[in-house]
Amino acid sequence: MRFPYKELPGASKDYLRPAVPVAVEGISRAPQLCLLDTGALHNRFAGWVAHAAGIDLTDADEERFVVGGFVAAARRASVQLTLGEVTWEAPVWFCDPWPLAFHLLGQEGFFRWFNVRLRAAIYEIEITPEA
Amino acid sequence: MLQMALHRGSVLGAGFVGATGKCYTVSMSQVQAKIAQQEFALDAEEIARQLRDVMPDPLGDHYVVVAGKRYPPKQVISLVTGLDRADFNTHQARRILSRLGFTVGRRSRESPLASPDRPGPHRGREADLLRPFAGRWVAQRGLEVLVAADTPEAVLGWLERHNQQADAMFRVPGDQTTATGVAPA
Repeated sequence: MRFPYKELPGASKDYLRPAVPVAVEGISRAPQLCLLDTGALHNRFAGWVAHAAGIDLTDADEERFVVGGFVAAARRASVQLTLGEVTWEAPVWFCDPWPLAFHLLGQEGFFRWFNVRLRAAIYEIEITPEA
Repeated sequence: MLQMALHRGSVLGAGFVGATGKCYTVSMSQVQAKIAQQEFALDAEEIARQLRDVMPDPLGDHYVVVAGKRYPPKQVISLVTGLDRADFNTHQARRILSRLGFTVGRRSRESPLASPDRPGPHRGREADLLRPFAGRWVAQRGLEVLVAADTPEAVLGWLERHNQQADAMFRVPGDQTTATGVAPA
């Protein structure tokens, strides 16, 4: 699968981010823009996604961490995600508050499952599922 | 069937259209229109007020800009008159709204130009299309914004109501933190 980098507008300059649309079970009409974050250990999504998708976070594991200068509470659930024609089950940490324009795909819930090539020179992302 | 007539006591201005006397502007922000055999006095400020909390339906080729949002012209006329959309056509709706001072346009005739000097897979065209929606949630199909709203729930609700499928949904960055995650100093 190939995806272009995302062009996001900025005040003084635009931002070019390696981000891809991932469908979450329950809200497949609106695939969520996710940054390929090789530095992230986990998939981290905004908390509203769990609520909209009907994902029960009662009794979920919880942790606190800092993102974008905010202390966020994160709760974990196993979620069915789809990228292109590939569907996989992965843990996602749903976070409140969530200050970013997009969600994050990390090592445990994404890079473990995919071979990813970032071609920044031509603003292109190549992704293939690991065998 | 649509006709616009001169409002009693008003001054015939630059809104006169054609020699048949069917279409007049009452003032810069008001017209009196006959649509489907019914008379309506339409006021631009009142229309903007009525649309304040109304999300645009999916756009066809034509649109009208009201308070910074693009609506299908027939949605606007139907909403403010209570008429069924089958009672008039898009061109009639466009003409009335244009007379009221709203910007009307066609999507197929516009396309922000990509610049060979700008970086990015679309040479800045996508960023330019998203720029008016800074700080808001959008659903996108291709490069086009299908819907924009202040909450993600409103975007999802709109997609469901209109049976639309988006390619991607996200919040258009309104500041550096939102775009990069870098905390303000």
